[in-house]
Amino acid sequence: MSYSDVLSIFSGALTTLLLSVAGIALGLPIGLGMALLRWGRLPAVGPFIAVYVSLLRASPLVTLLLLLFYGLPDMGIEIGPIAAGVLALTMNTSAFYCEIWRSALLAFPREQLEAARAVGMRRGMCLRRIVLPQIARTSLPALVNEMSQLIKVTPVLAIVGVVDITRAAVRVGADTYDPLPPFCVALAIYVPIIFALVSVQRWVERRKARLETSE
Amino acid sequence: MTKLSKAVASRRRALAAALLSLVAWATFGCAHAASLEEIKKRGYIVVATEDDYRPFEFVKDGKPTGFDNEMVDALQKYAPFQIRHEILPFTGILAGVATGKYDIAITGATMTKDRLQSLDFASPIADATDYYVKRKNDDSIKSIKDLSGKPVGVQAGSAQLAHLSQLQAQIEKSGGKIGKIVQYTSYPEAYQDLALGRTDYVVNTIINLTTLVNQKPDVFALGQPVAAPSMAAWSVQKGNADLLTYINQFIAKQKANGTVAELQKKWFGQSFNLPVAFTPEY
Repeated sequence: MSYSDVLSIFSGALTTLLLSVAGIALGLPIGLGMALLRWGRLPAVGPFIAVYVSLLRASPLVTLLLLLFYGLPDMGIEIGPIAAGVLALTMNTSAFYCEIWRSALLAFPREQLEAARAVGMRRGMCLRRIVLPQIARTSLPALVNEMSQLIKVTPVLAIVGVVDITRAAVRVGADTYDPLPPFCVALAIYVPIIFALVSVQRWVERRKARLETSE
Repeated sequence: MTKLSKAVASRRRALAAALLSLVAWATFGCAHAASLEEIKKRGYIVVATEDDYRPFEFVKDGKPTGFDNEMVDALQKYAPFQIRHEILPFTGILAGVATGKYDIAITGATMTKDRLQSLDFASPIADATDYYVKRKNDDSIKSIKDLSGKPVGVQAGSAQLAHLSQLQAQIEKSGGKIGKIVQYTSYPEAYQDLALGRTDYVVNTIINLTTLVNQKPDVFALGQPVAAPSMAAWSVQKGNADLLTYINQFIAKQKANGTVAELQKKWFGQSFNLPVAFTPEY
């Protein structure tokens, strides 16, 4: 395996990071939005989201991706491999984020909301100042868990032509007929990425704890 | 009906409706690939190639190379339209051509009867007769009958997998039976498992195996043919006749000016005389 082979696996790492960051950055707020809409018990929207979430949680990512990639052009929407990958990741992960956020919302003590209303807080302000900071903290471990899952399922996107870490390693192996060295390099790249994510989680948790004790 | 059970029932109905519309889409939606006229009008053709099928198509130093990719370069010089080149694993290629996502698969796909139902094949570009490869130090395999009972590796969804029935018939004629068939997403993994001893032989086309044995002469050794002669060719969506004729004219011209023979020698180690049309027996 040559130096340029290692380099090509690293450029695969850029794609993996790009896809993961896009999936997380889009999925996290969409999941939160869907959870809030369900929590708010809106008559028409709530059931619709419930169906959407159950459908997406039931469909494997590869199947969803193939459906989007080969199906959307059928309806006149051209879509490239990266865009299809981001769309499939976002749809899939936002359904799981929605359930994580919703479980935190369901466990949220109603008394706090009543107290906020009693002192004349509006709904939006109550959400920003009281609900969100607390559910963000309780959901954090589950959210980070889902994020690390997302990073590790990105290799399935290779089926439509996305070249992530694993696919780049497969390509090197197909050229040299010696697949073990590229796979070792690939694994050595995944580990620090996940480690960095978990470090951020720990840092956020420690910072929150410190802020609370100083209050 | 209580309020809760009503809500559950309406949710079930919505779920059923969503699933039904998916099935309807699958049944009635039928895309078609661009015809030659449409390709000329919009100014580009969408070409799909593989990324791990040495020596036909593979990626070296981040650039696509191999026999078919050099043919793509030649096509770009020949054609009045641009080439949009998509590189993806084999699993997605033929499905993509059959659904019209790609106009043509420029990959060494073996022609089979099954594939002819959804694809039309151009003039063959290579001999694709199946051989087996074994570990060099494995002295227990000397001829076809020695393969009896031994585990074999092939690529999932490949023509070689479909052709194994011919090998089975040969082995059974000599009183043995075919061993466990292990399927892989692509051949590099199958070769690796053969080297590790998880399987005892791998079936692939003569060209792929010759390249493998030339690259790793200490590990692998080539065996005998295991199926009737077959050919590898590019494919378009079934019924896309104009594009097929255009591509066949291109191939005929490259054969006449010596490009095909030169590239075959460079990538396959030998050039061969191939028919203009080929009808697969299996």
